[in-house]
Amino acid sequence: MKRVAYLSAVLAVLVFSGCSSKEPSIDATANNSVAGNASKGSASAQTSATDGSAVIGSVTNASSNSADNAAGTSSTENSGMANILFDYNKFDIREDMMASVKGNAALLKNKTFKLEGNCDEFGSDEYNFALGLKRANAVKTALMNEGVSADSISMVSLGEGNPACTEKTQECWAKNRRVEVKLP
Amino acid sequence: MRYILILTFFISMLWSADATLEVTKNVGMLPKLAIEDGSLIANPTGSKFHKMLSADMNVVSLFDLDESYASQSFDNPQAAGMHKDAVYILRYRLVPDGSGGYRTDVKLFQNSLELFSKIYYLKQSEMLVFLAHSVAYDINAKMGGGPLEWMKRKVLFVRLSGPRRSDIVAADYTLSYQKVILSGGMYGFVKWANREQTDFYYTSLNDYHPTIYRVNLATGSKTAIISSDGMAVCSDVSEDGNRLLLTLAPSDQPDIYLYDLRTKNKTRLTDYSGIDVSGQFMGEDRIAFVSNRMGSPNIFSKKIGESAINQVVFEGKNNSTYSTYRDWIVYKAREASSAGGSTFNLHLSSLNNNSIRRLTSSGDNDYPRFSHDGEAVLHIKHEGSRSMVGIIRLGVNKSFSFPLHIGRMQSIDW
Repeated sequence: MKRVAYLSAVLAVLVFSGCSSKEPSIDATANNSVAGNASKGSASAQTSATDGSAVIGSVTNASSNSADNAAGTSSTENSGMANILFDYNKFDIREDMMASVKGNAALLKNKTFKLEGNCDEFGSDEYNFALGLKRANAVKTALMNEGVSADSISMVSLGEGNPACTEKTQECWAKNRRVEVKLP
Repeated sequence: MRYILILTFFISMLWSADATLEVTKNVGMLPKLAIEDGSLIANPTGSKFHKMLSADMNVVSLFDLDESYASQSFDNPQAAGMHKDAVYILRYRLVPDGSGGYRTDVKLFQNSLELFSKIYYLKQSEMLVFLAHSVAYDINAKMGGGPLEWMKRKVLFVRLSGPRRSDIVAADYTLSYQKVILSGGMYGFVKWANREQTDFYYTSLNDYHPTIYRVNLATGSKTAIISSDGMAVCSDVSEDGNRLLLTLAPSDQPDIYLYDLRTKNKTRLTDYSGIDVSGQFMGEDRIAFVSNRMGSPNIFSKKIGESAINQVVFEGKNNSTYSTYRDWIVYKAREASSAGGSTFNLHLSSLNNNSIRRLTSSGDNDYPRFSHDGEAVLHIKHEGSRSMVGIIRLGVNKSFSFPLHIGRMQSIDW
């Protein structure tokens, strides 16, 4: 029986190594291809349509640069405001989060601030971003119910792009499904 | 009996794996091809090019490929000793041009008879893999293989590198070539602006409001297209490049808008109180989109200017990304994982009869994108903490994956 198990394991390794053999063995990491590679010539790879000769030009002359504008959110802070957490694939505010919403509302009256909706890593698509936005909007509505002015609130969804926790555990994913308050 | 059961189990694993393995078993029926380096002086670039061309010829799928490296005089119709049993010999000769590029001569021999000959001029050695793609494309065309235009296209993707940090990267489909176009900020949702791949759109989350920018690759110039509170995404570009389908939320509500680049007018196309996102053109006057109007995300369609909504996909759960080509749709569906929890697989369905074929069976598969000729589907595959570019060749029922070694992919286009 042990021998059978061993042969089975070997067979399984062969099956899965068959998958990985499709990967190319060449690796050009991004660190080797950043700014400074300003290329010359045409902007696209081109090949002549017929046998004979062909010219392969450069992909791009665009070079990497830093963030687009100064009004980024990375310099903002939340000044002790509580994060509002959400259940998987949900955007309604949980009962256990209402005290945090009320606490935030007391601190936010007469202030201008931004609500950032965040998601876990399950889905990087537009739907997930929209889910983050709906979460931010749910918090906005709850804050308005507590007397905060709608005009003082802006919102953004960051999808999975700003995780508070990067481990692959249920607890970690739960921390990432959140809305954060950011003051300017 | 026990042995038979165990053997049956592993055979069933073979059949349930991605389409790649199913075709691999037929490899013995294909003619043998070997690739040989005919450069005057053997050098690392020559052997590197051999690996790149081998990877491409595997994807071409017309040959039983002998991947062993050998050098042989370029014009010699005879194969190198180790390749004596090969029916086809694909031979190349790299000649440095003195200014950072290569002149490359390529010949294909069939049983010692010259079948194909071509000269390629590569302007930059860093783009060597595009030379391999061009050679593979030409050999495939010479042999009458299926359309492979997508092989030469540039792939654009967003790579998440840390909290609030991402890069926009231009690459080839194997990721052998990668060039960072933008870095240092928070970006998402890349989309080519035209078929020629001269410009692209992306969302910047660095501005106070999410903003869609258009970037010209040749000059690096950047133009702001539109901003919106909440979210702003360019989901699709019309065939002529003049109209965009956007997801915007100017009133806190994610909806789909039609934006005309010539007039700068935007028209709201959906008004559901839940989530409507990911619009895609289906011909001139119809769009498809993702909505949670039936409780969980699924794919619907509507005619521009009309209010009637049609459900497009009737199977699967959490169908939140998709791509259409003529009467076909590829969509992502959430399924129970054999290891517990959930997994996401891609499915191909006909819009006429709803027949369904599952295209993937491992990893979390997302962001499908049909090639312009419908022959292949590009997608993002996540396995554990690793992201990969996945290519599914529908015509030959074969799939390939190419790993990203740094970061996690957020969106992709080609």
